[in-house]
Amino acid sequence: MKLIVLAPEDDNHTAPIKWALEKAGHRVVCWAGLSWTDGGQASLLMNQDDTLVLGGHSVDPGDVIWIRRPELPDPNPKVSEADKKFASLEYRSFYHCIAYFLETLPVWCINKYSAARMTIQKSVQLRLARQCGLKTPSTLMSNQPATVREFFARENSRTICKGFTPHVWQKEGQMSVAITETFELTADQLPSDEVLTYAPAIYQERVPKDFDIRMVLMGNHIYSYALKNTKQALDWRQDAGLGHVTAELVPTPPDVEKGVLEFARRSGVCFGSLDFGVDAQGQWWFLEINEQGQFLWIDQFNREARLLEKFCAFVTSPQGSTLPLEARQDLFPSLAEYEELLKNEQVAPVGRPRPDDPFLSMEA
Amino acid sequence: MDKNNRVLGRIGARELTEQEVDAVQGAFQVRHTLTPCFIDKKQQLLNGDQAIGECGP
Repeated sequence: MKLIVLAPEDDNHTAPIKWALEKAGHRVVCWAGLSWTDGGQASLLMNQDDTLVLGGHSVDPGDVIWIRRPELPDPNPKVSEADKKFASLEYRSFYHCIAYFLETLPVWCINKYSAARMTIQKSVQLRLARQCGLKTPSTLMSNQPATVREFFARENSRTICKGFTPHVWQKEGQMSVAITETFELTADQLPSDEVLTYAPAIYQERVPKDFDIRMVLMGNHIYSYALKNTKQALDWRQDAGLGHVTAELVPTPPDVEKGVLEFARRSGVCFGSLDFGVDAQGQWWFLEINEQGQFLWIDQFNREARLLEKFCAFVTSPQGSTLPLEARQDLFPSLAEYEELLKNEQVAPVGRPRPDDPFLSMEA
Repeated sequence: MDKNNRVLGRIGARELTEQEVDAVQGAFQVRHTLTPCFIDKKQQLLNGDQAIGECGP
């Protein structure tokens, strides 16, 4: 058995996890996604024994495929201008053939591509969460001004606004940036109808939360961390980056655990990072799930979390295992060890410049 | 910022100063590259919970 990670080797979660698994004697290979380069090429041979090769790595029965963050298909830039559109669509179609085909093989996909594509949609996850018994806030997704204004006219209710995707705007020639964040909005503050059509947005009942929860789902195992930020910000993510957040392991209420496991069963995802808000009555409100969300940062805020070791135990356990991950987590080194090596430049740095970030815009 | 034709998400965006971006980046590279909301000033990219890959939104 080997682990095939669909992500660049220097992805910030892939690198430490690959290092930890290899240190424990496991075989890990990376495939950054379909591209024209040698390492990005792939072949799918369909005959009596179907064969799939990703960048020189054959996909074999029993392998585990972690679809972490593959890069977009990358056609050869030397192709004729007249053929670029066609080549791009062919690359995309071939990638889809590969990604969906993986689900038909005797391998374990974390997560299945079809499940990931479905579940990443915020509309789907909110509805499914509600159907699974989780408490969800009233939500409107819209670019229709009249409907938006009607939503804001609800009585005794506060409303927040957030985007479907994160984004950063950087001023040209400056280092200051603006970043999308959940923010509260009142009916009086709504802009003109025209502006409401510039981009659809998510309008949501504000959860009167005392604190946030970041939950990590690994198969049948759920780990919940209470995130308390000193600034009591509506959106804790920036404060996490600034180090103003604490992450404390807390028990998951049985009804929430039941709902999350049902959500996982119905959606088909076996791994993900979930966000909840907890109100003064102790009720947990489901906010969202990111099926490949960041989770290793919790190890940095709480060294006892040991999510790197737990994840390594998870991906090297039989699919569907109910054995506690804690029983095998000692087989793997910690993130702190990796960080020490990184600090001393004994392992390659994570991340690399990208020519084009879809989440970044320049502005005057 | 000229608000005349900006999207609501930009109007409500949080402005980070250069100093705040530096603070987010911090002294330990790995510490902050892992967080769910990280702006890499050097690489000019957002490293968050969501990714626009083939599984993107």
